[in-house]
Amino acid sequence: MAFGRSENLGKESKQRIWAFGIFVIAVFLILIIKLFSLQVVNGFIYLNRSREVSRRTTIIPSQRGKIYDRSKDVPLATNVDSFSLFIIPGELENLTPRDVIDRVRETLSYPVQNIEEIYDKIPLNWHNVYTPIELITGLDLTDITPIAENKDHFPGITWESRPNRYYNTEGSMSHVLGYVGKINYEELQILYNKGYTTNSILGKSGIEKTYDDYLRGEDGLKFHTVDVQGRNLAQDSAITPPKNGYDLVLTVDRNIQELVEKAIGPRLGSAVVLKPSTGEILAMASYPGFDPNLFTMEGEGNFNNLSLDPKFPFLNRSIQSAYAPASTFKVLMTFADLAEGAFPEDSLITCRGTMTLGDRIFKCHKITGHGSLTLKEGLAESCNVYFGTLGVDYLGIDTIHHYGELLGLGEPSGIDLEGEVSGVNPSPAWKEAVYNTPWTLGDTLNNSIGQGFVTVTPLQMANLVAMIVNDGKLYKPHLLKQVVDPETGDIIMNTDRELIRDISYIDQDVFSKTREDMRYVITNGTAQPAIMNNTVDIAGKTGTGEVGIDENWHAWFISFGPYDAPPEDQIVVVTQIEAYNENWDWWAIKAADIIYGGIFGNRTYEEEVRDLKSRYVWYSWSIPLDEED
Amino acid sequence: MPLKDLLKKGSKSRRFSIMGYDFVLILTVIMLTVIGILFIYSSGITSLGKNVSNEYIKQILWGVTGIILMFVISFFDYRRIKLVSLYIYLAFVFLLLVTFLFGSVVNGARSWLGIGSLGIQPSEFSKIATIIFLASYLEDNSKDIEAFRVFAGSCLIVGIPAALILIQPDLGTTLVFFPILIAALFTAGADMRYLGFLFLIVILTGIFTMFYAWDLYLSDNFIVLGRIFSDRQVMIPFLAGIGILIFLAGLGLIIYRKQIFFWIAYFWSGVLVSYGITLGAFKVLKGYQLMRLVVFLNPQVDPRGAGWNIIQSVTAVGSGGISGKGFLAGTQSHYRFLPQQSTDFIFSIFAEESGFLGTVVLFILFSLIIIRGLYIVYTAKDRFGALISAGIVGMISFHIIENIGMAIGIMPITGIPLLFLSYGGSSLWTAFISIGIMLSIHQKRYRD
Repeated sequence: MAFGRSENLGKESKQRIWAFGIFVIAVFLILIIKLFSLQVVNGFIYLNRSREVSRRTTIIPSQRGKIYDRSKDVPLATNVDSFSLFIIPGELENLTPRDVIDRVRETLSYPVQNIEEIYDKIPLNWHNVYTPIELITGLDLTDITPIAENKDHFPGITWESRPNRYYNTEGSMSHVLGYVGKINYEELQILYNKGYTTNSILGKSGIEKTYDDYLRGEDGLKFHTVDVQGRNLAQDSAITPPKNGYDLVLTVDRNIQELVEKAIGPRLGSAVVLKPSTGEILAMASYPGFDPNLFTMEGEGNFNNLSLDPKFPFLNRSIQSAYAPASTFKVLMTFADLAEGAFPEDSLITCRGTMTLGDRIFKCHKITGHGSLTLKEGLAESCNVYFGTLGVDYLGIDTIHHYGELLGLGEPSGIDLEGEVSGVNPSPAWKEAVYNTPWTLGDTLNNSIGQGFVTVTPLQMANLVAMIVNDGKLYKPHLLKQVVDPETGDIIMNTDRELIRDISYIDQDVFSKTREDMRYVITNGTAQPAIMNNTVDIAGKTGTGEVGIDENWHAWFISFGPYDAPPEDQIVVVTQIEAYNENWDWWAIKAADIIYGGIFGNRTYEEEVRDLKSRYVWYSWSIPLDEED
Repeated sequence: MPLKDLLKKGSKSRRFSIMGYDFVLILTVIMLTVIGILFIYSSGITSLGKNVSNEYIKQILWGVTGIILMFVISFFDYRRIKLVSLYIYLAFVFLLLVTFLFGSVVNGARSWLGIGSLGIQPSEFSKIATIIFLASYLEDNSKDIEAFRVFAGSCLIVGIPAALILIQPDLGTTLVFFPILIAALFTAGADMRYLGFLFLIVILTGIFTMFYAWDLYLSDNFIVLGRIFSDRQVMIPFLAGIGILIFLAGLGLIIYRKQIFFWIAYFWSGVLVSYGITLGAFKVLKGYQLMRLVVFLNPQVDPRGAGWNIIQSVTAVGSGGISGKGFLAGTQSHYRFLPQQSTDFIFSIFAEESGFLGTVVLFILFSLIIIRGLYIVYTAKDRFGALISAGIVGMISFHIIENIGMAIGIMPITGIPLLFLSYGGSSLWTAFISIGIMLSIHQKRYRD
C-alpha cells in the first residue's frame, strides 16, 4: 500500500492538474466567446455574406422605346432581337462539347466560320464548368427556333436575346434620330445616380440622347443561386420584370422628310420645314447623312470611316452650322426699317452699281445699277446699295443688332436636339471683345447685306420667318410630339406649343408689310424665275453668300406659304446649299419650289419633278430621275 | 523500481469490472463520433441534393471498429504496455522514417503508408507511442524529475518523431507534440523554469513568425520587427545587444547573486533561441506554406487564394447564427464554397447547420472529455498511468483548440483534424485507442 502511494503523483502535481484543467477550459471559453461574437452578435452579417457569395444576378434587357413620325404608323427606330447562343459544359450528358456544337452547326442555315475558335472556347476541365460560355452571337429568331423546338437534342445549350437598335431610315433622318451606343466611362460617372450601369445602352446623339430617359425603360433582373462552380441551382429564381421604354412620336412627317431630303439631293446643305403656328418641325434634313445601323454592328471601322470623312456626315447642318445669311438678312433690314420708320418705305434710294464709303468702293451685284428703288423694290432686287445705304445712313448698327436680338439671332433657339450653335449677331461691343478693334461703318455696311461677322443657322432663319408670319410670336421649335406608353397606348406626355419670343407689341402693319414685300420678291423679284410650281403661292427671300471662292456661293432661300392662308395653315421652309457644291446655282430656291409643290400638291419628289418636267420648267431638264435611267 | 515487482503488482490487481468503466467518457466520445458521421454525411451532399460521397459509410466502419478497439484495449492492463513501450516507440520512429522515404503524398505531405487505397498515417499513431514512452521514461526518472537531464531527455524523446513528421512536411501534426511534452512534464512535476523556457520559446517563435511573415506577405509597409530578420543593419546591432545583455546579466548573477539577473538572462536567451528557430523556419519553409500559416491575420490580402479557406469557413460559421440553418441545409457547405468539409473544416459545416447552440453543446462534450481525462490523471494509481492520461489530454485539447480556432479565424491554418468528428481512419482510431488506454487506467484506479 505504501509502496503504491509513493508511485502516485505528489501533492504539487495534483495542483498542477487543476491548473492544467483551468487553462484548457479557459481557452475553450475564449473560443466560445469568439463563436458568440461570430454567430450571435454578427450572425446576420455573415448570413448576408453567405447569401451574396452564392447569389448571381443576370440582366433582362428592357425594350427601348420605338420612335415614330407624326403619322404614328411605321416606326423610324425599333428593336430587333438578336440571339446569342451559350453552352453550359457541365450539363452535357455523355456528350462532349464538340458533339453538341456540331449538332448546333448542322441546324444553322449558314456555314459557321472559325469553328476551331469556337471549340477553343471550351476549357479543358469542361466537366466541372457550369458558367455559360458564349458560342455564337448575332443569330436571329429563325436560327434559334429549330434548337428551341428540340431542346433535348441540344443538352447544355441556352440562349439569350439581346435587343439591337434598328433604324428604318438612313440618310438625313439620322441627324434627328441620332444613334445609341454602349455607355462610356465619362458618361457613367455623370449618370450613375440615374440608374445606368456599366452595361447600359444609351442615346449618343439626336432624339435618342435628348429623350433617353423616356426611351430607355428599366432593365429587369433575374436572381439565382449558384454554387462555387457557378452551377445554377434552379430552386429559387426570382425575377424583377423589365419595364419597357416609352415610345416617342415626332413632329416630323416622314413623307415631307423624304421629299426634303431628295430635294436637297446629293448637295452639301440642309433644310428646315416648320409649322410657325406651333413650332413643330415637319422636316429637318442635312446632307450628307449616315446610316445609324452601322453603329450597332461589330467593329469600330464604320464609325472611324465616317468620323474621318471631310464632309462631316455627323454634322446636322440645320442647327450645328452657322453661315453668313447673305441677302436673306435684308428681310430683317426691311422689318427693322418698317418698324423704326427710319427711312420712309416709299422714298427712293438710287443704285448706280457702286457705293462709296470713305475711300472704299462697294459694288452691287448688278454692275449697271438698279436705278431708283423703294424699300419693296430694293428687297425684290436684293439691292446691296439700297440696304447698305439704309444700314449705314438710317438704321445704324445698334438698331440692326437690336432687331437681330428681337428676331432670335445670336442665340440657340432651344430645339430639343443637342449641339445647336448660336451664330453671331454682332455689335460694336462684341467686336471690341472678340477682335479688340473698333466697329467701322464698313462693318455696318457688310452687316446690312448679311455679310461680315453675322452668321445664322438655317433653323434661326426659319424662326425669323415664323415670327413674321405669326405677327411677332415665336413658338419653341421642337421635334417631340408625344410620349406614348407602348403597353397601354396611353399618352404620357403631349408637347404643347411654347411661346418663347413675343414682339407682337410692334405694329401689325410692319409684319403684314414685310410679308407683302417678301411676296413681291417672288412675283416681281429675284426669285421669280425659279418659283415655278403651280400649286401654292409663297413668299420668301433669296440669298447668295460670298465665301471667298470665285464663282461659288452659299445659296439660301427663306420662305413661307401659302401666302394668303391663315397662319395655322402656313409653313416655313428654309433651304441652304453650301458653296462647296459645283454648278448648283439657284438650288436652294429650286429645292424649296419642289418642296412646296410636293407638300401642297400632295406629291412625292418624283411625282413633283415629273410634273415640272411635263410643264417644261427650265430647271427640271437637268434633274435626273432614277426610273428614267 | 524493478520491473519484476511491477509485473507482480499488475497480476495482483482486481479483476475487470463493468462498474469500473467511465461511462460518461464512453458516452461522450460515442456521441461525438455520431455527430461526426452525421456531418460527414452532410458534407457529401451536393448543391443539387445528391449524395456523392461514401465517406460517411467508411467513417461508420472506422467508428465501429474504433469503438471495439477502445473496449479491447480497455480490458488490457495498461501497465503491461510499459514493458514494450520502448520497442513500440522505436518501431514508430522506424515507420516514420520509412514513410518519409517511401510514403505516398497526400495534400502535399509524404504522410501515407500503405498499398493501394488502404493506408495509414503513422504520424497519427506515433503520437500515442510517444506519449506512452515519455510517460514510462518520466516514471523511471521520477526521483530526478526536476533535473535538467530528464528535461532534456524528454525533449529528445518527443523531438525525434516530431522532427521526422516536420520534414514530411506536416507542420500541424508536428505542433501536436509540444502540448504532449508540456502536459506530461508539467503534470510530472518538472522544474517550472525549464517548462517556462519551453513555453516562452513556443510563444516567441510564434510571434516572431507572425510578424516576419506579416511584413513579408501581408503588410504594405515594412515595420521594424520584420527588419530584424532581413536587414543586416538592424540584425547585427539587435543580436549584439541581446548578447551583451545576457553577458551582463550573467556577470550580475555571479557578482550580486540577485534573482532578477537570472530572469533577465532567461528571457533574453529565450528571445535568442526563438530568433534562431524563426530564421531557420524561414529558410526551410516555402513561401506558400508560410503564407498559409499567417494569412489568418488578414485573409483579405488574397481572398481567392490563400485567404479563401478562412473567409469561407468564418462565413459558414457566422452565418449559422444562433440556431443554425438546419441539418443538410447549410449553403456555404452544400454549394461547395467551404473546402475540405469532411476533414479539416468539419467544425464549420457543423457550426453552419447547428448554430451557436450546437457549438456550445459540442464544447460541453469536449469539456467532459477534458474533465474526465484530468480526473483519470488525478486518480490514476501510478505515475505511468497519470502521465499517459496527461499526455493524451494535452493532445486532445490541442486538436480541439487548434482545429476550431482555425475554423473561426483566430489560429493559423495547419490542417489537423478535429478528433472524433473529422473524417479519417487513422485519426479516429488514434482517438479511440487513446480513450481505450485511459479507460484501462481508470479501471485500475482502485487496485490494491
